[in-house]
Amino acid sequence: MSAAVLEIGGLAVNAGEIVALLGGNGAGKTSLLEAILGFRSTPEPVSLFGQDASALTVEQRVALGVGYVPEGRRVFAGLTVRENLEASSTAPASERRRRVEEMLVLFPMLGERPEARAWLLSGGQQQMLALARALMNRPRLLLMDEPTLGLAPLVVADLLRRLPQMAAGGMAILLAEQRAALALGTASRGVVLSRGRIVLAGSAAELAADPALADLMAGG
Amino acid sequence: MAYALVALGFVLALNAAGAVNFAHGDLVVLGGAVAVAAGQSTGLAAPLLLPLVALTLGAAGIVAARVAILPLVARPPEATFVATIALAAIIEHGLTVGLGAAPRTAPALTGSGSFDIAGVALGRQPLAIVVVGSVLVAGVWFLLERTQTGRRMRAVSSDRHMARAVGIPVGRYIMLSLALAGALAGIAGFLLGHQFLVAPTQGAGHMLKAYIAVALGGWGSVPGALLGALGIGFFETFVSAGFGDAWASAALYVGVLVVLAFRPQGLFGEPVGRRA
Amino acid sequence: MRPLGAFWLAALLALPIFALAVLPPFGQRMVTLVGIYALMGLGYQLVFGQLGALNLAQGALFGVGAYTAALAAPMLGALALPVAILAAAIPAAVVAGPILRLQSHYFALATLALASIVNLVAVHAESLTGGANGISGFVSSLPRGPVLLAMVWICLIAGVLIYAQLFRGRLGDEARLLREAPLMAATLGIDGGRWRLAGFVVGAALAGLAGAFSAAISGVVSPDVTGFSVMVLCLTSVVIGGSRHPMGAVVGALLAVCLPEMLRDFQDAWLLVYAVATLAIVRWAPGGLAEWIDRLSGARSPVPHKPVVPERLLPATGAQRLVLDNVVKRFGGVDALAGVSFAVGRGEIVGLIGPNGSGKTTLLNVIGGLDHVDGGAITLDDTHLEHLPPHVIARKGLGRTFQTLMLEGDTRSADLARAVSTGAAFLLLDEPAAGATDRERGQLTSLLRRLRDAGRGVVIVDHDIELLTRVCDRLVCLDRGKVIAIGGPAEVRADPRVRASFLGLVEAAA
Repeated sequence: MSAAVLEIGGLAVNAGEIVALLGGNGAGKTSLLEAILGFRSTPEPVSLFGQDASALTVEQRVALGVGYVPEGRRVFAGLTVRENLEASSTAPASERRRRVEEMLVLFPMLGERPEARAWLLSGGQQQMLALARALMNRPRLLLMDEPTLGLAPLVVADLLRRLPQMAAGGMAILLAEQRAALALGTASRGVVLSRGRIVLAGSAAELAADPALADLMAGG
Repeated sequence: MAYALVALGFVLALNAAGAVNFAHGDLVVLGGAVAVAAGQSTGLAAPLLLPLVALTLGAAGIVAARVAILPLVARPPEATFVATIALAAIIEHGLTVGLGAAPRTAPALTGSGSFDIAGVALGRQPLAIVVVGSVLVAGVWFLLERTQTGRRMRAVSSDRHMARAVGIPVGRYIMLSLALAGALAGIAGFLLGHQFLVAPTQGAGHMLKAYIAVALGGWGSVPGALLGALGIGFFETFVSAGFGDAWASAALYVGVLVVLAFRPQGLFGEPVGRRA
Repeated sequence: MRPLGAFWLAALLALPIFALAVLPPFGQRMVTLVGIYALMGLGYQLVFGQLGALNLAQGALFGVGAYTAALAAPMLGALALPVAILAAAIPAAVVAGPILRLQSHYFALATLALASIVNLVAVHAESLTGGANGISGFVSSLPRGPVLLAMVWICLIAGVLIYAQLFRGRLGDEARLLREAPLMAATLGIDGGRWRLAGFVVGAALAGLAGAFSAAISGVVSPDVTGFSVMVLCLTSVVIGGSRHPMGAVVGALLAVCLPEMLRDFQDAWLLVYAVATLAIVRWAPGGLAEWIDRLSGARSPVPHKPVVPERLLPATGAQRLVLDNVVKRFGGVDALAGVSFAVGRGEIVGLIGPNGSGKTTLLNVIGGLDHVDGGAITLDDTHLEHLPPHVIARKGLGRTFQTLMLEGDTRSADLARAVSTGAAFLLLDEPAAGATDRERGQLTSLLRRLRDAGRGVVIVDHDIELLTRVCDRLVCLDRGKVIAIGGPAEVRADPRVRASFLGLVEAAA
């Protein structure tokens, strides 16, 4: 049995693994994530959890177990923290509330002010909310797009520290980042995109030591 | 109170479909007309007509958006403006052709007569309007704020794309919002139709009041629209008691222009956090 | 937009001549009415069609013209017509200031409120307007019958010809830019405010004139002429006929007058048909009937002319040096630009690099005046640019391209050519190579070199660092709103701080 939860183009991600998706601005990271989620079609087939998902809608892919933390957080601005979480759950009412409480404990930053409207939260709190929201449906594959952008160093550290814990439970994480050093510090492997294609791949240690990386990240 | 229902429906449709529906006022009139027609043909009692009108107009709300708003989302906003104005004209003239231009009276909710409370005579019908209106507004508030369906409707109007990404069936919730908007318009038309009669040409007036309420209360804000509508209602009642109806309306419009001149983004501004 | 073809010209002239020569008075009256509605519609095209602003006061202005003519005619005779024009245009010019600044849905609301006020006055100011009964008995002082028909159509034909002539050239392009890409229009030096004012006031003047003619033909002016139905008729006619086509208003008016005659047995049904047609046109033929007829008759659909870079780049005149001194820009407490300083001379190409969110586009926006600076100075020789509106900055010799294409069907090379063709001494280019093929990158490289040779100064933001290395004289690397390195391309690329910033090692380096 293949353990790959995601296969698209030359990229495969296995359960319990964190893979860094690197590349400069405009390299095609967001497009790739959106293709995996089903927001845009690609010529290449997408396989999710061992089945061909190319023809599935966004809703169906989410139901299969894909979670998404978009660039720019995009929390539901007028809803409270608690409402953001509840609205994002497909579980029945009692289970839904249980999971909300779980998230409020798991993310103390959110637990402090569950009734605050999302647009009043700080950037770090919004990022945690976006992550918690994606976790509400217990995804088996989590797609994260530039989650550290614009966050204070302490919050970045808090965020990145959580990823290995989540992966230890079997969740696969695809982490798109422009700040390669940060991402490679958390991920076990990485791939580098340039103009929509994978141009470099390897273990986190290999990539971090590769002199070509800096030029590629700058858009070379 | 009926203004509040009109404005509430208007803002729900605005948020769900992402565009101003100029035909909303004509949906109100259509609601009144359905009440008139159904009342004559079925002879049902008014409390039974109410859900009938709501259902019919709920369907009409969906049809209206399918015809004149949703197909045009990718075009500049002026396209939906024109399309819904055309739709408004279609409803208006359709009613004129179907029912005639003469005003009709919608069935009363209750018998006539009045209560005497602490020496103040209150008409039964106005009281019934206030009660029904309040119950509906409270019901919609409960739906939006306290139920999973309402949360999801709000999530969809806040960020459609992201709502899909967390697994919300977006299309279904948009339709639901539009149906609710239509139903509220229909009930408002029914309620207004007894006191102020039903005439095909009233649509523009209803629409304008709702538009003003929403623009002043904060574009897209549900409580803002309600406040705006109640404010307009009080303003008109008091000014018209002192100076007459015409002056009340004129003062309202001048007020709107003054507000827009000094606050080009509306009285309370656009809600923060809307995605650019 | 193409010039008016022979077919339309013939139709435009034939209708009134035919009416005058052959038709009985009733037919002449109808043709006059067509002309009146068409005049109002032509004015409406200026604001609604060309600038895409939903003005809902045109019907009310038509009513103002009608009332003015009715009131002034007994004293002034035919002179009441120009007075009616002024009566509509002057108030329009007065209210234009505040309302033309409004965004689309607020603009529609403001004009609707304005129209409602006019309507209320018409109904209730009985001493002036005669209230619901309106005004009559003035008609003997105004032109009538064939004379009126000739006057209306002479005005209309002149109007259509001027309109066609004006909008086929640069004015048409400017209007399209203002309508579809107002930001770009500003960076090309187009003064949107003046344009909208002119469109609104001229449109109002035409509505006033049409209203005055309508008073002359009907002999009675009642509050109906200020009602919303006149507005809806005007709007639907223009949409059905074609909201920008020079003949759109005429075609729409022709239908609006003839349909009710054809469907006379159905009474109000014609309005129903008309509204359905409007909806259908909006959905399936947004160009309107006039454009559709053009296509049937085999005329080429108007291709907006593609801007191309001129063969020979003339040395640009004007300012010699663009200097940024300690420029600061904050967004909600975050310093997007935290004191940026550098200078660009003529004949120099400066590349701006930096990780996502480092402030590159923000910097281009504040230089071009699209965002206001919160501190520091931006000067072009001795002229301070900080507080000037974008179109003025553009006219001082600063051109700009955009990261995201703003016009439908536009290309990056067209966007670039448009900026270059303004002759601006300095150009700000935002990701001109994004999504480009290798061949296009090659063309871009040679264009940049030609710009340098022609003495233009260029600031370019791009992610293709190889391309920047090849063409730039200097690179400036931004990180979190600060300049962290500046110098020759090889030197900047080798800078450890620059490499660290691209790897996200900012904390370590700072």
